[in-house]
Amino acid sequence: MSERRAAILSLLCLAGLYSTAAAAETRTFVIGYFGQATYSQDSDCPAGLNPDITVQYIKNLHDLGLPPQRVAEISKGGGEGNAALNELMQYRGRVDGKPVSAYTYPAAVKDPMLHPLVGNVAYGFNLDGKDGPNNFKDPETGETGVDDALARAFGCMRPFRGSLAGRPTYWAWAWGQLKDSQPAWLISISGQDLSKDGDVTVTFDRALHYLKSNIDGTPRADTTYRVDPDPRSHNVLKGRVKNGVVELTEHSAFRMLQNPMVVNDFQLQNTHMRLKLKPDGALEGLLGGYQLWADIYSGFASGAPAMEICITGDIPGLYYLLKKNADALPDPKTGENMGISTAYYLEAVPAFVVSADGKLVAGP
Amino acid sequence: MRVLPRIVTVLATGASVVALFAACSADAPTGVAAAAEAPKADLVARDIVTRRLTPEQYENIIADVFGPAITLGGRFEPELRMGGLLAVGSGTVSVTAAGMEQYDVMARKIATQVVDTRHRKILIPCQPKQDKAPDDACVAKFMERVGRLIYRRPLTGMETKAYVKAAHVATEKTQDFYSGLSLSLGALLASPKFIFRQEMVEPDPDHPGQFRLDAYAKASRLSFFLWNAGPDLQLLDAAEKGTLNTDQGLAHEVDRMLASRRLETGVRAFFTDNFGFDEFALLTKDAALFPKFSAQVAADAQEQTLKTIVDLLLTNRGDYRDIFTTKKTFMTQELGAIYRVPVINDGPNGAPDTWKPFEFSADDPRGGILTQVAFTSLHSPPGRGSPTLRGKALREVILCQKVPAPPAAVNFNIVQDTNNQVYKTARQRLNAHATESMCTGCHKIIDPMGLALENFDGAGAYRTTENGASLDTSGALDGKPFNGAAELGRVIHDHPATASCLVNRLSSYAVGQSLANSDPWLTESQKFFAANGYRLPDLMRAIATSDGFYRVKPPATQTAAAP
Repeated sequence: MSERRAAILSLLCLAGLYSTAAAAETRTFVIGYFGQATYSQDSDCPAGLNPDITVQYIKNLHDLGLPPQRVAEISKGGGEGNAALNELMQYRGRVDGKPVSAYTYPAAVKDPMLHPLVGNVAYGFNLDGKDGPNNFKDPETGETGVDDALARAFGCMRPFRGSLAGRPTYWAWAWGQLKDSQPAWLISISGQDLSKDGDVTVTFDRALHYLKSNIDGTPRADTTYRVDPDPRSHNVLKGRVKNGVVELTEHSAFRMLQNPMVVNDFQLQNTHMRLKLKPDGALEGLLGGYQLWADIYSGFASGAPAMEICITGDIPGLYYLLKKNADALPDPKTGENMGISTAYYLEAVPAFVVSADGKLVAGP
Repeated sequence: MRVLPRIVTVLATGASVVALFAACSADAPTGVAAAAEAPKADLVARDIVTRRLTPEQYENIIADVFGPAITLGGRFEPELRMGGLLAVGSGTVSVTAAGMEQYDVMARKIATQVVDTRHRKILIPCQPKQDKAPDDACVAKFMERVGRLIYRRPLTGMETKAYVKAAHVATEKTQDFYSGLSLSLGALLASPKFIFRQEMVEPDPDHPGQFRLDAYAKASRLSFFLWNAGPDLQLLDAAEKGTLNTDQGLAHEVDRMLASRRLETGVRAFFTDNFGFDEFALLTKDAALFPKFSAQVAADAQEQTLKTIVDLLLTNRGDYRDIFTTKKTFMTQELGAIYRVPVINDGPNGAPDTWKPFEFSADDPRGGILTQVAFTSLHSPPGRGSPTLRGKALREVILCQKVPAPPAAVNFNIVQDTNNQVYKTARQRLNAHATESMCTGCHKIIDPMGLALENFDGAGAYRTTENGASLDTSGALDGKPFNGAAELGRVIHDHPATASCLVNRLSSYAVGQSLANSDPWLTESQKFFAANGYRLPDLMRAIATSDGFYRVKPPATQTAAAP
């Protein structure tokens, strides 16, 4: 801790603003990016990528049984054609032969048979301790048996392809929507000496304020955030730092409230984490676990049909991809997997964090 | 126990007044009103200066006369800095044709708002007999009332008559009383008599053969100095009654104005001008290098320095020199990110930042306004810090010392190469640059002070290294050694030129002319300032109540006519 920081904290301590119960060292961060961890390779999708929505819609029109001439008319576009297409696509579900919303009733839409990723390299964690044909090898750690069925499900959808540096279109868009319209997410890492190996406590909280950005759009470091006292977004996780990487030693549940546009209630089970404490004070790495795939789907459905047309592609198709690739949390009655293994990538910058009652937790 | 100088004897011989000061040890209250009498030195009569209103003065007058809800909706002519002050430059600028158009646009917009249905009942003291017909009496009543505040003196009978006639004719043409009144008011507001501060002189009955400002010009000079606005009704009344021309009457008005909250406006205006904060309008930072430096940071940085000054000098009546060492300041969340200190914004998302008092610890490298973001960022190029620009500003702005402009055809390549791996720090680069003989002299006097601020990058953020090399912030100012910004602040605090510079700048600001250091009025003010604990309000009182503030040369025509 620098003399300068010590001086600030001692001042706050005198003012009763600093919790003396804090660990010897605590670093606090605000998340500056959060999205699916992707590692798309050219060989991932030997059958090619799934079709763009304009092509897929034509296929869907045929699937609805429209005469080829009518499909051709609608496909020409224009005001009338677009209106007809939108109406048909929005209500392409069928229940008892009657049109229903394709997004509210995705199971009522014929499976467009979008294909998943075939590759065997993806970021993530071996959540179940097993290795099998559907598992991946992590490109960073070399760990095998990695469970990241979400990467497999969406890996051949163009908007979901990318890398850690080259963010997938969907996730870059989603983050762009979220960061300026939802309270920021905060991370606090406490231990005896974070520069050395040892046990740590990792806390995730939601802030009361949105993320502050620099003039170039990057997250602004060294800003102060007050913690939202809502206990639903308060996560205390036990972990260990080793060679500057924080990993969890207990894999409990994780929950953060989020913007309904993506996932209104972000929950993980069997939570895993791999976060690097960077020399410049920033933090980056992975957060993963099992997530209810219906939650992921609801995020897409809530933005339909605009999201389907502009961002994600065929939303009922995503529903089937999630359902078919789900790999965990079987329903006790039906045996159907309700969970899907996931790995998310996050970047965080140093921030001052103040508890709900005004006490400084820590700062850069 | 304070020691206050007090005039014990005044000897007047011809045109000169010699004041003798003696100390007295009587207990005295510490308020401004009880401050020492103004110094009286051999008077130097100054030229009469006609100054163009600054944008802030124009805005303040309009707000005072018509209320703050009236918007201006125009663009002002560029200002000119002379002798380190826009206030001095305002005495040499004119108005271009395009600028006059803008004044006309603003005048019309203001006048339209004044007579609109929302404001007329409040702002117009009478109702016309008929809405569609002229009402000369009502117009005259309004014009006399408003014109006195706008022109800072009563309208002459000719002027009132002209504006009444203009409204009359316009009403007949438009068939609307308020439209006619608006057009006439617009003409009054677009008049040079409003836009320029014209100072009238009169023979000084107490000093035969000499001239002084007339009472209204005196009121204006006083008001713009202390409040950065035109005189209020009370001050105009004092001018009209002649009490402003008596020592007692003048002191009464000065003390009233010093006790007003509007003094802060005047103090802010002076320091904004003196520190060149108008340059923030043109300040840019490389977003890739200083992504935190937003327009809001720039605005907050200026406000932080002004709040620091106002709090220290007005609220706490502190020693002026302490602005270079004080650990107390104010923060916003936006600034907190640059200073890397916690500042919580209690408002909802999107709400403006709130200001919080903040105090750096005793051993913090920050202290005083020179270490604040306003100074360090303003005197830095877009992509780096600059010991040279900062050192130059320190010499010129804080110590009133002139630094020559750099010679032509100087090679700045090494200085500007911030990624140079041979000369990693600015000190190393400047040492290499200063080997050029034509550069050595100036850099010797400006760089050491600027290098003391090298712990602050071009956006004012703290750092300890540059290109991986540790920063050496040691140096000396006129033989006084320092190591780092905090110690530099202490050396500046104790430097004799620091306080005398403030007196020079404030006096020049007050009279709108650059003053020579040899000016006896200045010398006496400097002595007064030192003897009274370097209290700014006391200095302002001393200036405002001194004869030297109002003593002027005869008008040019009268000089020419003199035998």
